[in-house]
Amino acid sequence: MKRVIALLFALLMMAMLTLSATATQGNVVYDDGAKECIFSPGSEYSPTDLFPNFKDVMPGDTLTQQITVKNEASNEVKIKIYMRSLGAHDDSVEFLSKLGLTVQKSENNQMAYMFDAAADETAQLTDWVCLGTLYSGGEVNLDVKLTVPVDLDNNFQSLIGYLDWEFRIEEFPIEKDDPTPPTGDNSNITLWIAVFGISAAIIVVLLLFKRKENN
Amino acid sequence: MGRSKLKILIIAMVAIVMTFFSTNTLAYYQTVGKATNVVTSGNIKFKIHETTDQGTEFPTEGVYITPGDIVSKEVTIESLCEHPFYLRVKLIYGIDSAELTADDCFKLNINSDYWELHDGWYYYTGVVNACETTPKVFSHVEIVGSEVDNSFLGKALTLTVKAEAVQSENNPITDAKTYTALGWPTEVE
Repeated sequence: MKRVIALLFALLMMAMLTLSATATQGNVVYDDGAKECIFSPGSEYSPTDLFPNFKDVMPGDTLTQQITVKNEASNEVKIKIYMRSLGAHDDSVEFLSKLGLTVQKSENNQMAYMFDAAADETAQLTDWVCLGTLYSGGEVNLDVKLTVPVDLDNNFQSLIGYLDWEFRIEEFPIEKDDPTPPTGDNSNITLWIAVFGISAAIIVVLLLFKRKENN
Repeated sequence: MGRSKLKILIIAMVAIVMTFFSTNTLAYYQTVGKATNVVTSGNIKFKIHETTDQGTEFPTEGVYITPGDIVSKEVTIESLCEHPFYLRVKLIYGIDSAELTADDCFKLNINSDYWELHDGWYYYTGVVNACETTPKVFSHVEIVGSEVDNSFLGKALTLTVKAEAVQSENNPITDAKTYTALGWPTEVE
């Protein structure tokens, strides 16, 4: 009984750790079943909010938010993903114009700046910017950094700023020269073949022994 | 076959060939999704508590005093926010709604272990964390008999506690003196 309780406790802790790890990340997932982008985690302010880390910010804060854009479509299609900024809502411009925002995309293990301006602006993301072509299971990571100036005064306490981003997905068929899409199965095939071979050999040996015994 | 029919046939074939090639470059399907992202700013909130040594709220209508009285009045400040802050308190003495410059009438037992006087303000020497309440600023007020003469008869003496706070996050101080923090409001003379 103690072991069962210990096991349940360990599972609960793992689940909590997993939840806390995913809670601070924004996700844009393309699901070809739903044929749309699914945004998470959302917040009490917006169901499509990708900025869980940018809440309750204080003067002098520098905060980061990772956003993962993922293709969860089937293997028959690849997708091209684009994004653009629509800027701040009218009633959020005054607040967000005080904050600095950068967006970087991971490219060949280096981060390339896509956006570097005040948070209310559309700047380099005014037009659609291609994030890449993703095969099934593929993903692109964006690092978003928010800088709050230390001299932000009392007039900016307890404010809410809304900032819209759009993501466009184009679905394409897989072509002959496309690389094999990753399946997400990274298990060691050689090992499994070896295990299969050894198991088959043992079964054959056992069968031979049984036949000999019967004779 | 007439020349015009041949032209139509050629155009149709070209169109068919172009369609064939273009189908390989057109997307199957397109969708656009909008994410409304939200940034919120924090705040600093606190509440001043004024109680008696019996643990009851200090009466808002005040108390009757006579020269030499010692009135129990315990002042603490409670954090009502998630962010830590520095705090300072000013004590303003008054008589019948006017500021009382001769503040010798009052004698307060300031808790100098935690509250340091600088430029007319008592600065809390530590940081007030979320949900914390400070130690008492003072716990009683003595009405100095030798300073309160007949001219105070029937008048209302007031003691106003004014408090201000600034965030302690991203706001380093020098020599552990909280009055060196940035952001203290400038006093209007």
